[in-house]
Amino acid sequence: MPVHSAGPRLYHSVPFKHLVRKAGSAAGGRASNISLNLVPFIDMMTMLVCFLLMVFSSTGQLLQAQKGLELPFADSRETLQQAPVIIVTRNEITYQGQLIATTEAVLRDDSPTFKIDALFERLDSAAKKIKEDVGMGRNYDKKLLEACEKAKQNIRPEPGRVCPDGLAILQADESTDARLINKIVVTAKAAGFDNLLFAVKNK
Amino acid sequence: MGAAVGTDEKGSVNVELNIIPFIDLMSCLTAFLLVTAVWVNIAQINIQPKGKTRDTSNVQQDDEHVTLSVLVQSDKIWVGLSRVNEFQDIPKLASGEHDWDKFETTIKQHKTSAFFADRTDLEIAAESTAAAPVKYQDIIRAMDLAIKVGFLDVGLSDPAGLAARPTL
Repeated sequence: MPVHSAGPRLYHSVPFKHLVRKAGSAAGGRASNISLNLVPFIDMMTMLVCFLLMVFSSTGQLLQAQKGLELPFADSRETLQQAPVIIVTRNEITYQGQLIATTEAVLRDDSPTFKIDALFERLDSAAKKIKEDVGMGRNYDKKLLEACEKAKQNIRPEPGRVCPDGLAILQADESTDARLINKIVVTAKAAGFDNLLFAVKNK
Repeated sequence: MGAAVGTDEKGSVNVELNIIPFIDLMSCLTAFLLVTAVWVNIAQINIQPKGKTRDTSNVQQDDEHVTLSVLVQSDKIWVGLSRVNEFQDIPKLASGEHDWDKFETTIKQHKTSAFFADRTDLEIAAESTAAAPVKYQDIIRAMDLAIKVGFLDVGLSDPAGLAARPTL
């Protein structure tokens, strides 16, 4: 192919024309445009979008995926709600994303109080703040505040609408030692968290 | 979305819709939803921590009520009734798994008894040691079955804080 200066359009000089049959020629006479039927494609996309919008769940946003954390299985189908999250992985304990202690150190600790002091401090200040917010009726949905009133009258809350006062989520790995769970539960109770939601995976 | 009327022939009433922006939008939305979709169903088990510790001087025995206590151990599950002193051991199966079917049957029987027909409380504890650890999954399974049977108010306690307990 001889070399010559570039034209205004890319590949202008590349002779592809022999591949295209000319309309009205003796060779065929069919048009070179190909009409693609896009209707099935659009149907499929629409159905896929509808399906994905249906399975889209905000629950996953409440919990953080972490390395070394596999939630236990359960049949319970109650939906999770927003609350402070204590995460126990195979190696460490974190509260609201901040490292509290390593699991090894907590298991080694034989203190008679049976509490995790660093976690207690965080939970205690969080519990006080939540109690204040609930008391002032701020930062929480009206229905959750109504649930607090019902809780005072010993009325069982609806699933997913437990009073936020004294409510925390425990997200622990399925292989976590029960001693660790006991310590965390005792610490949470001592800090004023009377309701614990154990995050589980459905089968 | 652009539309052009009668573009092909003179007097044509065909309407050409430009669906390219629509396809673009759908493609972006599909990609976004596929990436952000949560494929794991996450649920919760609601429990009330008893807050009892190994310091058994704090354990208050309720003389009025019979309490159904469950203790999960590494080799068996222990089910007991306080005051009545009715106890049952459910040893592990030969496969190494806890006998969850028998456990479910046992607490179902207790639920239908006169003591618990109109009550929903039950306390669970796990006795774990370095030599014989109990996994969190086993506690969850025990609580899950208790809720399934009708004991909706599950309390989690330290083994020494159970109202009815074997000699530890």
